Amino acid sequence: MDEIKDIVDIKRAVLKTVAQYAYEGTIYQKLEDIPFEIIQGITPKFRCCVYREREIIRQRVRLALGRPPRDVLYTDMDPTQVVHVIPCACEGCPISRFTVTDNCQNCLAQKCIKACPFGAISKTPKGAVIDKTKCKKCGKCYEACPYHAIVDIERPCKKSCPVDAISMDENDIATIDVTKCINCGACVVGCPFGAISDISMMTTVIHDLCGDWNVYAMVAPSIEGQFGPDINLAKIKAGIRALGFKEVYEVALGADMVARNEAGELVENYEQGKRMTSSCCPGFVNLILKHYPTLKEHVSTTVPPMVAAARYIRAIDPKGIIVFIGPCIAKKNDILAKYLQEIPYALTFEELDAMFEAKGIRLAEMETDEAEVATSYGKGFAKSGGVSAAVTRVLAEEGKNYDIRIAQCSGIDECKKALALLKAGKLPEDFIEGMACKGGCIAGPGSVKDSLQVRRGFDKYAKNQNDQILETLEKNHADRFDLHTTHEA
Amino acid sequence: MDLTVCIGSSCHLKNSRAIIAGLEQLIQERQLTDRVTLRGSFCMEKCGCDGVSVKWNDTIYSLKPDELTAFVENEVLPRL
Repeated sequence: MDEIKDIVDIKRAVLKTVAQYAYEGTIYQKLEDIPFEIIQGITPKFRCCVYREREIIRQRVRLALGRPPRDVLYTDMDPTQVVHVIPCACEGCPISRFTVTDNCQNCLAQKCIKACPFGAISKTPKGAVIDKTKCKKCGKCYEACPYHAIVDIERPCKKSCPVDAISMDENDIATIDVTKCINCGACVVGCPFGAISDISMMTTVIHDLCGDWNVYAMVAPSIEGQFGPDINLAKIKAGIRALGFKEVYEVALGADMVARNEAGELVENYEQGKRMTSSCCPGFVNLILKHYPTLKEHVSTTVPPMVAAARYIRAIDPKGIIVFIGPCIAKKNDILAKYLQEIPYALTFEELDAMFEAKGIRLAEMETDEAEVATSYGKGFAKSGGVSAAVTRVLAEEGKNYDIRIAQCSGIDECKKALALLKAGKLPEDFIEGMACKGGCIAGPGSVKDSLQVRRGFDKYAKNQNDQILETLEKNHADRFDLHTTHEA
Repeated sequence: MDLTVCIGSSCHLKNSRAIIAGLEQLIQERQLTDRVTLRGSFCMEKCGCDGVSVKWNDTIYSLKPDELTAFVENEVLPRL
């Protein structure tokens, strides 16, 4: 077992080990052994004791098998919820929001004490002290201190959640309000202890790969650059085939299909003076359905690119099993809630990487040369601004000349601002391109590398000489599918 | 209303795919597509049961492929 240095290593070690035994067909016999295999000896490496470390591994194994953490009450759970707190891994960070630090000079002006409307601050010989029972977290003292001695620290999970779905229970353990959660995965990345994670469908996918099924992979456009700057799409595709997938398709072609459909829809709405939003990001669509339900009718009724790609694959093999592979956690929720019959599984790049490791596949050594299908615009869906660029491109190719104004929202905070304006009837733009992750899918929570590295690799590879969307669709017979859907909360 | 089928690893081995296909067909045959939405779910913590876990109306049933018609007749239709 490789040395565990940080939370990413723990998650990866568990996924890799589970994938390995799933391929061997021995996973159910090995379940109890995995915690002892990963955490050996008696000296703890990252928590208070090995027993807690093993319990965390045990819960993570459950997640890898498609089960929620055991110590949570799931009687009234939304069964499509993907993101879960692993309570035994939550440190219950004992952070009070506003704290006086050593910077306090014990000054005479006592601006903090005067600024506090609740009388929560008192002076001691060592400096100012905030009484937690009286503090209402208004932040007045924080603004008043001339030495910046008062800091504002929020629990990282709570801070990372853009929809305020995380609260603390009576033991200070984080809990997720599933009625608010949009499954964007921000907290999965945000928790420094790795105590929030996503449920996986990896084990069932491996089971099907080992069976007599034709299993097809479709990879999100953001895959380019995911596995390092020297690994191009052709090598990744060859690697995925070596895992047992019959063939690999680009979701970027589905994105080209979506661009054409959405452009038509946009013009129709524009002519009626109706505002429209994009529909490809499930985190963004969940945000509208759960937090701005009155705006539902504005959401484009074009299916997301993965569904368009699935319909394309289905036309080639009606009985095939289709697996979406992307950087996205919300997609898992999306397929369970809406597209179960079309796309039974969604994996993240993290899980794909664990499968490569389990099978000993080295992408750098893959020898292959194959042409790429989708246009540079379809590939561009992975980056903020890409949807708008592709839709505008389709209109240009069709020779339509409209002055359509577009609000590009990168990250949920920007999306919320635009949606609030739309709700108030004050949105100046005609179209909202909403992306839950800042920067777009290339910054997704299920990525293998950090977004800076991914971005560099993506910019290098996600170019294609081919930039003709309509021509590409016609050439690939991808222009004849019904791409309509409805949105129900 | 939601009819939720478990696709966790344990139910998968008990052939949750056949349950999904069977229920989809029954929903179409009885023209319930507007009223019943078939959804997937992660584990419902009933892995010890013989059949695949299916949630309907806040109750979790354990179903095998040959029990689907009776389930739709006796449980789904009366509680719509």
